[in-house]
Order: sequence, then structure tokens, then C-alpha cells
Amino acid sequence: MELFRSLATRMSVVLFLALLLGLGGAFPADLEAGPPVLEKPKGSACVRPGEWMRRNHMDFLKHKRSLTVREGLRVRSESLLKCAECHTSHGRFCDRCHSYVGVAPDCFECHLYPE
Amino acid sequence: MLSEFSAINGRSWGYWRLVALCAFLFAVGMGAFLAIEIFGHGITGMNNQVVWGMPHVFAISLLVMASGALNLGSMSTVFASIQFKQFTRFSAFLAIVLLAGGLTVLLLDLGRPERLLLPMLYMNFRSMFTWNVFLYSGFFVLCLLYLWSMFEYKQFTKVVGSAAFAWRVILTTGTGSIFGVVQARDVFHSAITGPMFVAVSLTSGTALSTIILVGTYRRTGRFMDERLVFGLRNALIFFTLLVGYLFVVEKFTKFYSPAFYNVEVWLFTGPWAWLYWFGVWGCCVVFPLMILFSGRMGNTVGGVLAASSLTVLGAFAFVGHVLLAGQSFPFDMFPGYQLSSVFMDGQDAVYSPALVEFLLGFGGIALSALLFLLGIKFFRLLPAKAVVPEGWDLPWSP
Amino acid sequence: MTMDRRTVLGLGGMLAAGVVLAPGMRLIAAPNDRTDASEKHRWAMLIDVNKCNPECTSCTQACRKENNVPLVGDPQRDIHWIRKVELHNKEGYGPDRSLPVMCNHCEHPPCVHVCPTQASFVRKDGIVLVDMHRCIGCRYCMIACPYKARSLVYSKPLVPPDANPRVPIRAKGVVEKCTFCVHRIDDGGEPACVEACRKEGEGGMLFGDLNDPKSEISIRVRQVQTTVIRADLGLKPRVRYQGI
Repeated sequence: MELFRSLATRMSVVLFLALLLGLGGAFPADLEAGPPVLEKPKGSACVRPGEWMRRNHMDFLKHKRSLTVREGLRVRSESLLKCAECHTSHGRFCDRCHSYVGVAPDCFECHLYPE
Repeated sequence: MLSEFSAINGRSWGYWRLVALCAFLFAVGMGAFLAIEIFGHGITGMNNQVVWGMPHVFAISLLVMASGALNLGSMSTVFASIQFKQFTRFSAFLAIVLLAGGLTVLLLDLGRPERLLLPMLYMNFRSMFTWNVFLYSGFFVLCLLYLWSMFEYKQFTKVVGSAAFAWRVILTTGTGSIFGVVQARDVFHSAITGPMFVAVSLTSGTALSTIILVGTYRRTGRFMDERLVFGLRNALIFFTLLVGYLFVVEKFTKFYSPAFYNVEVWLFTGPWAWLYWFGVWGCCVVFPLMILFSGRMGNTVGGVLAASSLTVLGAFAFVGHVLLAGQSFPFDMFPGYQLSSVFMDGQDAVYSPALVEFLLGFGGIALSALLFLLGIKFFRLLPAKAVVPEGWDLPWSP
Repeated sequence: MTMDRRTVLGLGGMLAAGVVLAPGMRLIAAPNDRTDASEKHRWAMLIDVNKCNPECTSCTQACRKENNVPLVGDPQRDIHWIRKVELHNKEGYGPDRSLPVMCNHCEHPPCVHVCPTQASFVRKDGIVLVDMHRCIGCRYCMIACPYKARSLVYSKPLVPPDANPRVPIRAKGVVEKCTFCVHRIDDGGEPACVEACRKEGEGGMLFGDLNDPKSEISIRVRQVQTTVIRADLGLKPRVRYQGI
């Protein structure tokens, strides 16, 4: 029991230090730079309201991707190639926000989309 | 009276050197994995003809031996060979560590190892791989329970040990059936492929256990009665005869059918014939039997160790032959025609393994060895003195 | 804090309702905008070997262009969705032959049977596909396929300068194969190899719907003797050959 207690103490110290370090890392200069500025899309309206897309595009794309590949569902006005007509660059649109929030989806490793 | 179990001291320079060597090899193996992951499988020797290479040979051999490592435990728990009762803990533990090493190599060779959890999410119950996911994890759990019951709840040892024995037969049949069920491949499509894997697991597991037991007892300066080694020798002889029998039955059946003349003649004389004759027949069956049956060598520990080493090598050769020769024989899509194309149709596949594949494979072996070395230091897995129980003596000697 | 959570939950519910509504609205707006694979079709191919010229590689070239299948320069690791196979009659009972071989889109595909993640699957209209998002690169399908229809991507794929944006390239470590140009079929077209064969070759390739008794392929299959590769395996391939 004693061993366990001393172990637990040590581990909590380590955890505390790790937390401190982690918090330190989470406050870089980026925060002061504010939210990322995305390229203005070309068209007049998206296939869904912008607010909705901002929150749900990942589920939307992933859901439709499975349906398209596996069930053959093709919604031509909502295909990834259609996205490119308004959001003409993944580097100036998708990636900016993705790198800001620290996610790295690998869509464009395979899907050909304007840089 | 059997002596008490005790962990090894494990404080000597030699022990830590061995641990460090294994850790180093394991680290190199992980490096090999990362290299394959970053640069793609293009840096291995595998190609679009031979898609499973040395990593799979290592991995599947280790998995076959993992199931075989349970032999000593089963012989004692299920078949009441009292002289092996002192090795049951060792046996279950060895099975676990070999399984860990083999599975590590198998999973790290995937084209997309980061998607490892997908097979759990989307199961295809027709795939032998899905079956094996359950068989391996079940075996792992059963071995752990077996080990636990031997330490804490002796009343359950019999039932858990018997379940583990039944499970390992199914498990290795499943491993062999990865190949046996594939109708497209003339070399290994056979109902007997699964049983052949079981038989090879019996020989190689017994052989590996013998080598590790004798090695551990010698290196730790503990006493081990030689008659125990000769008991294992007798088991090994029996299992090796079983392997030879299944090999003969398989070839006999195939050669009886004219449809298989081409592939069987190719196996006997083609580019992989050396592995077949020297590795599969020589190391798996003939050489060990010659040693074990000889009155001069079969009655020495050194002779048994030599035969055991050949048997372990033979298991690698057997798995390697199934995999590599199996993939190298060209598909006969149009019987009666000679095929040629830019995609190597009608040609024997070429495969020369790259160093990185061996490093990954050795990494898996090193992981097993590392876990074993730490296991015998921290758990009471082996008896302090391996003696022969009263009333037992060798039934037969060459 | 609790307020925040409630707001988020309420918003989530509203949005969920939005998802249900929105696709329905689209469907009414543009009926042709949305199509599905249907079990009413049974896509198949008939290859007349007599019309296949040994010198001609229109089909394989068209496939590479349409589907962004590059030659990586290493013949052992090149990716082939469709290839020309030359047959030389060993026993001298017939003439030499040249013909294209590709994924046979079997009714009982062994690749699909062995795939541990259901990445290889049969679509409702009988096309065998690989879901690249789900392939773990175990290569068991390549062991199981008797037609050598599949290739593993061994290194980072090259993007051809004139790449077809309609077909994604494949990342390294996944297994790929012929899709019957599924993107063209879904748009009412035919595979690129068939089109190229008709335009540049002798027109030996025919693509169509076996479930439609009036389709050209159905009529031809009823009228002439056709065969499949390795019929003995019982896989019921949907690429049929005439003249071997």
C-alpha cells in the first residue's frame, strides 16, 4: 500500500508538471493573431448555410463520401469538385483553418483539388 | 517432490547485456517500421507479384510457435504428463510473448498501419483475418487466465488449460486456413494446409521450448534433469513423424491429379525447390529425425538441441515456402497457353527480400525475447530445480 | 456553463433537423442531380478476342489517362488496372491470342470474401470496388484474386500533369484495381477502355447491362458462344470473352 501511495504521489507530480507544460504550449502567439482569414468564396451561396457548414462540413463530407463510394450516391451539385468552383484553393481556404485548429485531414492526398 | 518456483536473479552483467541487445534489436525493428511507413513499401523487396514477404514469414512463424509453445502446458494439464507440470507456467507465458512478437510484426507491416482499428469497426465475418482477430485475442486471454489460475486458483487450471488447448488447435488451423481457403493459389489451396500448420506448431513449439529451457537453466546455473530433455525429445520425434505424414499425404493427393502435375513438378524442381527440399523436408522432418533416432546423438542434450534448432529453422522454412513459393507460381488463367504480358503473367515471380524486412522481423523476435527475459525475472515462472518426479522415468530411448 | 451546454445542444438539434430537410429539398429542385447505384442493373463486359490486335494498347492507355494510373517505372511494382496478355498456344491446337485482362467483377469475388474491413465490396449493381478510405493495406485480396487484377501502391503516387480531377489518385499503402470506370457509368457513360477500343481500336469491347434483355450485350451473350476466365473456380465473372 505504501508503495502504491508513493507511486501515486510521484505520478501526480509528473502529471501536474506535464499539465503545466501542456498549458504553456497551448498559449502561443497564434492566439493574439486571432482567427484565420479564409479566402472569400466565389459564388453567392453554399450548398448549406455557411454557419452550418462551418460546424458540420466534416461530417457532411464524410457521410456523403461513404454513401458515394459504397452506395453509388452521386449528388452532382454537392460533389467535391463543385466545392472547388467557389473555394478555389484548399491551401487558402481549407488548410488555413485546419492548421489553426490543429487538424490534418488527408483528403487531398488523393482527391485532386486546386492547390 | 517438485521444487518451488522462483524468479531468476537477473542481476548479472550477462542478463542485462542480453536485455539491452533485445531492446536494441526491437528499437531497430521499430525504425524499420517507421522507414516503411514513411517511404512506403517500395523500400522493401515486396512487389505486385509477391505481396507478402519476410515480415509475414517471421510473423506467421512466431504465431505458429506461440501456439506450439503451449505444448508443455497441455501435455501436463490435458494429457497428465506429470514430468512437465513444472513447466506449465513457463509454457503459457512463452505462448503469450511469442504471440505478442508475431502480431506486432504482422500489424506493423500493413500498408496503412494507422487504420489498425478499422477491422474492429467493420468486420467481415467471411474473412479468415477477422476470424484470426478473434482467435488470437481469445488465445491471449485464455493463456493469461491459464497462467493466473496456475498462480492463484489451481482448481481452475484443468478447465482453463483444456480450453486453451482446444483453442490453440483451432487457432493454428485458422492461421493455416488463411492460405488453405484461397482457391486461386494452387500451391497452398488445400484442406490439409490448416492441419499441417497445427503439426508444424507442435514440432516447432516443442523444439523452441526445449532450447529456451535448456538455455535458461544453463545460463542461470540451475539444475535440470537431463531425462526431461529426453522426454521432450520423444515428444518431438512423435510430432515430427506427424508432420512428415501430413506432408506425404498432401503431395500424394496432389500428384494423383493430372491438374496438379505442373505446379507440383514446379515445386520439386523450380526456383523454390532448394527451400522445399532443404528447408521443408530437410529441416522440418529428415535431419531432426536422423539426429533424434541416432543412438549416439539422440541421447545427448547437444544432439537434442541441434535437432530442435533445425526444427525451429524448419518452421520458418515451411512458412516461408508456403508464402513465397505459393505466391511465385504464376496463375494459369488460360490452360494450354503460354502467357506473357507487361504484368509478369506466366512468369515465376521474382522476390529478393530487403534488409529492412529482416530488421522488422528480427524486431518482432527481439520483442518476444525481451518480454520473456523480463518475465522470468519478475515472475515465478520456472522451478528452482527441474527434477524428475518420483515414479517417472524415460519410456524409450534410441 | 450549463447555459452554454444547453445552447449547444439546442443548436445541435436544430442543425440535425436541417440535415434531414435539406437533401429532400434538393431532390425536388433537380431530379437528375441525384442518382444512386441500383440492383436493377448488372454491368458486364464482352470482349471479342478475334477483334483484338496484338499491337494495339488503346484500352490500357485510355485507362491510365482516365484513372490517373501512372507507370512508376519499376515493372515489378507498376500498377495495372487493365493489361494486354499474349497467349501462345503451347500444344499447337489453335492460333496465338492477344486480349485485355482486368478485374472481372465476379458475382462471388474472393477479394471481397477475404477483406477484413469490408473495404472491398460489391456495389448494388454488381461492380466490385475498393473503398480506399477503409483499406488497411493487408494485401490479402491480392493473394485471393486469381486474375492478378489488383496492385498495391508501393510509393507516393505521381500526379500526372494532365490528371483527371474526377478520379482521385491513390495514396501509398492501399490496394487498387479497375472500377469499370464507375464515375462514368454513374453518369450514363461507358468505361474509358471500351470507348477507346471503339474509337481507336477494332471495337472488340462491349459494355452493357445484363439485366436489360434488350441491351446489345444481352443479345450478343445469348447469340454467340462466350466464356469466362477460370470458370472452374465458380466465381461467375462479369467480363466475358468471345473467341478463345
